[in-house]
Amino acid sequence: MDYSEAANRISRKFASGGETPDVKKIEGKLKRLVDEFNVQPSEAERSVTSELAKEYNLPVPGAGSSAGTAGKGGGTEEKKIAEGVPGDWVTIEGKIVALSNPPSPSIAQNGIIADESGALRFVVWAKANAPKMAEGSWYRIESAVVDEFKGIPNLKIHSGTTIKEIEDDRSLIPTPVPIKDLHTGIGGIRAKFVQEWDASHERMLQSGLLGDETGTIKFVIWKEPGREKLVPGAVYSIFYAQVDEFNGRLSLNLNGATILQEEGEIAVSGGDASVTGAIVHIAPGSGIIKRCPVEGCNRALSRQNYCPVHEIQQGFAYDLRIKGWLDDGEKTHNVLLQREVVEVLTGITLVQAQEIAENNPLGMDEVFLRMRDAVLGRYITCHGREIDNRVLVNKCDVVTFNSSDHTALLNRAGGAPS
Amino acid sequence: MSANPASMPPRREGQFEREPARRVFAAELRECRYQFKDGEDEKSPTFVLLPSGERSNRIFIVGTLTEKTRQGEQNMFYRGRVVDPTGTFFIMAGSYQPEAMQQLAKIEPPQFVAVIGKASIYQKDPASAPLVSVRIESINVVDKETRDLWVLDTAKHTLDRVDAYAKEPTPDILKAKEQYPTIDPSLFRKIAWDALAQIKM
Repeated sequence: MDYSEAANRISRKFASGGETPDVKKIEGKLKRLVDEFNVQPSEAERSVTSELAKEYNLPVPGAGSSAGTAGKGGGTEEKKIAEGVPGDWVTIEGKIVALSNPPSPSIAQNGIIADESGALRFVVWAKANAPKMAEGSWYRIESAVVDEFKGIPNLKIHSGTTIKEIEDDRSLIPTPVPIKDLHTGIGGIRAKFVQEWDASHERMLQSGLLGDETGTIKFVIWKEPGREKLVPGAVYSIFYAQVDEFNGRLSLNLNGATILQEEGEIAVSGGDASVTGAIVHIAPGSGIIKRCPVEGCNRALSRQNYCPVHEIQQGFAYDLRIKGWLDDGEKTHNVLLQREVVEVLTGITLVQAQEIAENNPLGMDEVFLRMRDAVLGRYITCHGREIDNRVLVNKCDVVTFNSSDHTALLNRAGGAPS
Repeated sequence: MSANPASMPPRREGQFEREPARRVFAAELRECRYQFKDGEDEKSPTFVLLPSGERSNRIFIVGTLTEKTRQGEQNMFYRGRVVDPTGTFFIMAGSYQPEAMQQLAKIEPPQFVAVIGKASIYQKDPASAPLVSVRIESINVVDKETRDLWVLDTAKHTLDRVDAYAKEPTPDILKAKEQYPTIDPSLFRKIAWDALAQIKM
């Protein structure tokens, strides 16, 4: 039996990784395995390849690119992108839908590859010596590895991977999924920008809440050349966004995503949390507050007009809020009432509160005390969105005495013991 | 293969849970004789076991402040009496609760008040009867409607506890049966009815 063909094949796999294994030595090893140990030739080839890979500290090149086992595949399978599970060796065909700046010199290219089944992040190692792929083109990628990076499946293209450009132009129309069905990885949605939040980091361009009929999700855009802010209230189709998980909650990273502004309107699920109880505590920081005037910041300033990010600010804006605990006797809910809700509940408008704060010796404390006296111990029902165990209240009703509840309870108390 | 992260239950580590404020009538709170600590930690919450079989750390009461007195010189504190349709709560605020003390100092009885506080059992000396008193965290003047709402709310929770007591015993219900062998919680059903009946239709 002639082993030189197989030996050359193995040697070629490592040549692309910059190594030059001794062909004669490989041939000898193959011969020994097959002749002396009755190992199947394909298995012998695999075993020698992985032994060399270990020696050179390289990922094991898949057998998919070798002429002898092509098609059948020694562990690599032709798959749809959505089927790729961490740990798999795969051969896929997909379109490069996004490229981003490599975060490290050991990475040649990274981005997102998609087919009609889904999308995956990919990374091309510099050591892989792979041809540069272009955004918008289709490629057949043989013998790549799916693994996991920061909890998200990631396609690794290493020195054993072969990349072939696919010439024919295939169309790829991604379909958005409902927000409640998103899971970690890469996802697409059609959603409305419902709320803009304070950027909590200097590198953050924008963050906020996107919503569709099924729910809402937090998003973030990091500062990067060419990235633009979304317009609050607008509807977008967003494809190939990275879905991360933190503390059990999902969020969308829109850097690298394809974002198309759309016509139309979405009836966003308004947050269906509703809690009734008594206000048992009004937390410090309630009442009238000053907010940082820096565009996009809006943080609450300290008494000395100090913003945690922008330091001392003179031209602040006033706002009202109540942070407190609403207790139903079984559970206590952290509630945050926004200005409109505070105005209705306390009967003190922002203008009136500002007047009190500016003309009273106690200043802003006086507003806090008056609001506390107006709401502490009262029964109210709060409607809003529950996030991280806190209800962001956008509507609030004062509970009134209902005589039919009274009658029902009298009957229950007077009834025979159950 | 690896589990789908989306299918895993959300993890919430070290999240603080505030103790809920239980609703209890004065007639039931008065009967408490057993208090315990949940955990060995110095900061572990202390609970008073209600005879109807529920632990309570914090309570929420609404009633009429009928009386308040200032006591002590060096360690000044306020005592007060808050009356509900079933009896009297004994409330107090000391210098360790400066805000609550100031709130209480400001209120001139009689007034409807809402009180958030923690109940504990005191005994002057081994011979005297134990007294349940409420150390207040907050007190605020409210209107009569809030008082009426509280009576409904408290009646509902009392009936819920009495019904649960008769059904599946929880560890706290078992403990209540052991600690209060002479108290029949169906008594509190009658008390709830009496309280409700005092609200004018």
